Amino acid sequence: MTGPLLLAVESSCDETGIALVEDGRRIHANVVASQVALHAPTGGIVPEVAARAHLRWIVPVLDEALVTAGVTMADVDAVAVTYGPGLAGSLLVGINFAKTLAWAHRKPLVPVNHLEGHVYAGWLLDPGDAERESPPFPLVALVVSGGHTFLVEMRDHLDYRYLGGTVDDAAGEAFDKVGRLLGLGYPGGPAISREAEKAVARDRVFPRAWLGDSFNVSFSGLKTAARRIVAHARADEGLPADEREGALPDRVVAELAWGFQDSVVDVLTAKTIRAAEEVGARGIVLGGGVAANAALRARISGEAEARGLAMVIPRPGLCTDNGAMIGAAGARRLAAGVRAGLDLDARPSLPLARPAAR
Amino acid sequence: MTAGGPILLIDTATTRAVIALGGPDGALVEQRGWLAGYRHGEELLARIDGLLADRGIATAELGAIAVGTGPGAFTGLRVGIATAKGLAHALDVPIVGVASGIALLDAALAAPAAAPAPAAAPAPAQLVLLQPAGPNDRVLTRRGERPAILPGGTDPDIRPGERLVAVDLAGRADEDAVALGEAAVDGLAAAMLATAAGRLAAGDADDLATLVPEYVTLPRGVRMPPTDAGVEVSGSQPRAERS
Ligand SMILES: [Zn+2]
Repeated sequence: MTGPLLLAVESSCDETGIALVEDGRRIHANVVASQVALHAPTGGIVPEVAARAHLRWIVPVLDEALVTAGVTMADVDAVAVTYGPGLAGSLLVGINFAKTLAWAHRKPLVPVNHLEGHVYAGWLLDPGDAERESPPFPLVALVVSGGHTFLVEMRDHLDYRYLGGTVDDAAGEAFDKVGRLLGLGYPGGPAISREAEKAVARDRVFPRAWLGDSFNVSFSGLKTAARRIVAHARADEGLPADEREGALPDRVVAELAWGFQDSVVDVLTAKTIRAAEEVGARGIVLGGGVAANAALRARISGEAEARGLAMVIPRPGLCTDNGAMIGAAGARRLAAGVRAGLDLDARPSLPLARPAAR
Repeated sequence: MTAGGPILLIDTATTRAVIALGGPDGALVEQRGWLAGYRHGEELLARIDGLLADRGIATAELGAIAVGTGPGAFTGLRVGIATAKGLAHALDVPIVGVASGIALLDAALAAPAAAPAPAAAPAPAQLVLLQPAGPNDRVLTRRGERPAILPGGTDPDIRPGERLVAVDLAGRADEDAVALGEAAVDGLAAAMLATAAGRLAAGDADDLATLVPEYVTLPRGVRMPPTDAGVEVSGSQPRAERS
């Protein structure tokens, strides 16, 4: 071992994740119990159902992680846990479980912001991966998920300057809503990406909300436009307005999915690249569930490469919520002397900011 | 099988959080309660730490964890059960989930406030428990029946001869029912420890993984799916690959 081994717990939304991460980089185990299928029938997350599933799965996930890593709690140097932002009931399960493990095993407890976890996923190495350079500072990080869409500048570890973000919906929410409009079900992101791949004609244009020179983005106008464009497409196909009464032909669904995705990818890429140039960044880190989107990954990497910027995008399984990203961020916080007491509680609206040592 | 060491009890189903230590036989050694409101998580572990320290008991000496499963406040139940699971896992001791609602009825029955009034003595089946569930609804617990949800504005149908035990409903239920509720909360730890010790002696501990709280309210139109439905665990080697 070259650095501390962290047990990291994530339960802020609908994934129960527990990981063992060495030195903030090397994954020894990263087990995730995903509730995506559990919430599909309701087309979104029901907090009470999510919290109960966390309680049901947290012990098996912990056991699986310890077995996979081949360690016991005695080998662990600290316990890290997400304490916000997220769903209060879901956060409480992970927080109180992690807090109790840390107390009973006499390990330091490190509180981690879920959003910085998404950024720090960029530092992770899978078991067996060759060593590689860490993302270079200064950098710009774009986090895009079902709940969040924002850009930050980092000049050093744990140092965040907010550059801009969504003024209304998160990108992932827009994907879910348009996915529903197109009859693709929940969650919308992977379904839209899959359909967009199949588009033969790539000429459907959805509007872009540039919001001037700011680094802010807006998706509510795009959502409204999508409703109008889908309605027109249905009329063109001679279908009734109600999307439950007859599905659009696959070809049209694919074209519309491509057009919508292209609008989101275009705006996110342009804002991120401009932010990187303006702050003199040496690299870009992409994170969050929407960063699993293949079109976004390809476009932003291409643009970054053309400008000689280092581009860091974790593999899709590390972009969606997981414990390893909390272990990566937790190691930085541990090194900075950040600790939580036994009174650690959920902070559903926790902002991303430099943590204070304690 | 008995606990083999002191039983630590946690109940967070009501706004008054309760922790207690019992002997392996379930006899109450000491209980501590505090008004947690809906923020049970802030104090629970520090209070447990304090209770064990004051009694000179090391965590490793504990023989079992007993925890209230509700019905009651969602927030509290999550905190209590997540903490109990963490403890049972860390200490490698059995866990017993005890229905807090039935334990409150047991406690009310044993309370002096339930002593036979000259007119009528309540029989066990005649006590029914009323608690808030969420901001508007209430939940009614009858022995031998599943807890029933009372949507906001609905009155409980109290059957002839039944007597109400009201918890967390001061000012919103009859004084007599509220007083009996307070007595029930005072006796909750003893009632739960007795139940837990009985279950442990019978070798009837719960499965640490699958123990979940008793939920009775959900948003309109949402049904609680089966406990194991819709969850996929990934990220480790397939089981077959392990020796
Ligand atoms: Zn996330």
